Amino acid sequence: MLAALLLGTCMATAAVAQDTRRDVLTLVNADAVQASTTSTAPPTEGWQPVSLMDYWDQRWPQHDGVVWYRLRWHQDDNTAPIGLLVSYACMAQAVYVNGSLVYADESLTEPLSRSWIRPHYFLVDKPLLRQGDNEIWIRVSGIAAYQPGLGEVSIGPPRTVQALYREALFWRYGLHLFSQAIDAVFCGLFLILWLLRRKDTAFGWYALTSLISLCYNANFIADSTWPFASTDAWQSFILAAYVANASVYCVFLLRFCERRWRRTEYALLTVALLQIVWAIASPHTAGVYRGAGFVVGSIINLAATMWFIGYAVRGHRRDHRVLAACLVIPCAAGVHDFLALFGITHSDNYLLALTAPLSLIGMGFALAFRFAAAMRRVEGFNAELRYEVEEATAKLRATLSREHQLSLSHTRTNERLNLVRDIHDGFGGSLLNTITVLEQSPHSEEQQHAVAALKELRDDLRLVIDTSAHDTETDLLGLLAPLRHRWSNRLEIAGMDSRWTLAGIEGTRPPPGHALDLLRFLQEALTNVIKHSAASHVEIRVECGAEGRLLVGVRDDGRGFEYNDPMLHRGAGLNSLRSRAIRLGGDLRVESRLGRGAWLGLVATVTGWEHRPKNEHAPSQETTAGTTITPA
Amino acid sequence: MGLHPALVVDDDAATQQRLARLLASHAGADSTIAFASSVDEALQQLSQSYPALALVDIGLPGASGIELVAWLHEQRPQTLTVVVSAYGDAATVVKALQAGAVGYLLKERDDEELDLALRSIQHGGAPIDPSVARHILALVVNKAADAPDAAPNADAALTPRETEILQLVERGMGNRDIAEHTGLSRHTIEGYTKAIYRKLAVRSRTAAIFEARSRGLLC
Repeated sequence: MLAALLLGTCMATAAVAQDTRRDVLTLVNADAVQASTTSTAPPTEGWQPVSLMDYWDQRWPQHDGVVWYRLRWHQDDNTAPIGLLVSYACMAQAVYVNGSLVYADESLTEPLSRSWIRPHYFLVDKPLLRQGDNEIWIRVSGIAAYQPGLGEVSIGPPRTVQALYREALFWRYGLHLFSQAIDAVFCGLFLILWLLRRKDTAFGWYALTSLISLCYNANFIADSTWPFASTDAWQSFILAAYVANASVYCVFLLRFCERRWRRTEYALLTVALLQIVWAIASPHTAGVYRGAGFVVGSIINLAATMWFIGYAVRGHRRDHRVLAACLVIPCAAGVHDFLALFGITHSDNYLLALTAPLSLIGMGFALAFRFAAAMRRVEGFNAELRYEVEEATAKLRATLSREHQLSLSHTRTNERLNLVRDIHDGFGGSLLNTITVLEQSPHSEEQQHAVAALKELRDDLRLVIDTSAHDTETDLLGLLAPLRHRWSNRLEIAGMDSRWTLAGIEGTRPPPGHALDLLRFLQEALTNVIKHSAASHVEIRVECGAEGRLLVGVRDDGRGFEYNDPMLHRGAGLNSLRSRAIRLGGDLRVESRLGRGAWLGLVATVTGWEHRPKNEHAPSQETTAGTTITPA
Repeated sequence: MGLHPALVVDDDAATQQRLARLLASHAGADSTIAFASSVDEALQQLSQSYPALALVDIGLPGASGIELVAWLHEQRPQTLTVVVSAYGDAATVVKALQAGAVGYLLKERDDEELDLALRSIQHGGAPIDPSVARHILALVVNKAADAPDAAPNADAALTPRETEILQLVERGMGNRDIAEHTGLSRHTIEGYTKAIYRKLAVRSRTAAIFEARSRGLLC
């Protein structure tokens, strides 16, 4: 925007100048004469021809005071007014046209008005304007040390000259004012930023740099030395500000690159402090020998900028690179100003101050860049956080659901267990008592039958309890364990040697009904063996094969039986065994010969049996116990 | 080891008679058997007597049989305390073992089975069945999970052999099967289960002391 504005202004003014410049008379020859600070009229003697732009310090290096300039031109026609433009006069001036005073600065003696900061425009009409020869006197008050002199004077049609005046005013004064305002705004902005966020010391140093450069740039917009009492004091103040600005700017660049070079920083600040002390102690010498200070300040400034540009090029930070790019032009402007100050090149304007907006663009970008990066981090962090929270929630949900399932299953198991226990304690207790009582009373055959029947009931109840009190996690091996244990004991007591072969049943989980049928089958077969076989060896075999093949068999070497014996089929024994075999999806096999023992078995292809490896530490291990065990 | 004088603590007359009959078949008809139907009654009897064997029903009315077991363990260390459980509830049995019982009888078993168990106890054995084994294993697992490196219980920790035997019992193996499986003698195996029971009791005593300390009863 700024660039567009500048460009627009340039083109507009250039167009005006091109159209009308030929009507404008630019006076480049004049006569000059020295005078005392109190002179009120030009001396008659001692005039010397000079050409404008004239710096009298080269001609009269010791002359601090007044120089009168005399310019003449021929005016053919005095009917129309003319515009008069004095482009540059350093420091203070008074302008006379044909011997009459048309303009005087506020202060023509120390402290001198700072008239050089802008051009002056006057409208001259008759009777002051004469037809024929006209003469202008310009009384310039100046100090040899501060480039005293007079620039070109232009005469022409008022509108044209006024346009030239406005153009010059814009470049030499307006832009400085504009730049100063922006600088002030940024200074305040970064100061607030730093106050709110002390950690970002770079911002604090930038605010300080801006503040000092505001002081230094006051040189281009202040038209009096206020608050200083002399031009020397003002100049030494400006110089001190210039050096301090360079030093603080260096520190800022270091901080901006997140560097902290203590010694360098202290050295730089010491230089700045020395310059300030010099300015306070001896404003005159500091002002007069300002060249040294400017050299020091400019070198610091230039070196720092070069270092930073190199740093930014080597690094990969976008904000650094943008700021570096924005500093290239101010750096060039600095070189230009440096040359102009020492008169190596001639210019009536200083450019460095004009480039302030550029460095401000760089800083603005750096700030916005950091802000955007921080926001990106925050947003990324938010996204990451949201993701993690979602993940945790999902995990928690899964865990809760699993726990819920588990607790449901536990509740069911416990309910079943309670029911089973109730049956056992109530019904089972009565059964046991009855058996005990019957066994104690005098034995009759009927009673013995009754006791045997009751014991079978008791054993069956035990099977029901054993299969119900387990949850579905218990495999066939676990389900068979109580039965195996009990019947091992019983067979042992009965004087029978038992041998158990269990194959493929570890990790096999039959559905509850099947388990009960299997156990009942075994129990009934074993009951028969104990009751009737009078065997000495019993072999029990349970095998689960591939594709649901199940083999359950009980072999004894007892007295055996004839399968065709009708008595055998009258009782419940074999029929019951057969029905269990059928319910398991198989059939009963019986092999026996009288005196040769017996083999009773079932072969089935079972469905719905699960087979998976047993988990050693399945949580069900503890829960199937049903009662809480308080570990010691 | 003698089984008399014996003390039978049970509130059911029929069971008392049954147990007395069982004991008589072991110790002879002249054996002295005292009866009590509650813990209080048993304690009264015990104030003057030092039975060689005490059969204690766990499901007594009033004070729990387990408390009596603990008392016997502390006060009558020479007495063989065997609990009689009607419940067949392995957890209760394990608690009784922890309180100091050296064995247990399940009422639901046939006389012949109880007889066998008593004989085994008489000869220094300790019968065990799969559900009790499983509970003891669960206890050991819990213990290990609670304090994997608890030094105070080091003497009470089960040896790998003991754990192995418990696992075999849990699978329903009889003593002979286990003997074949491990290459140990049947008698040794019963000795192992006895050692396991003792460790359970030691453990519970240690725990009791800890508890008492935490409550400020002991310093």
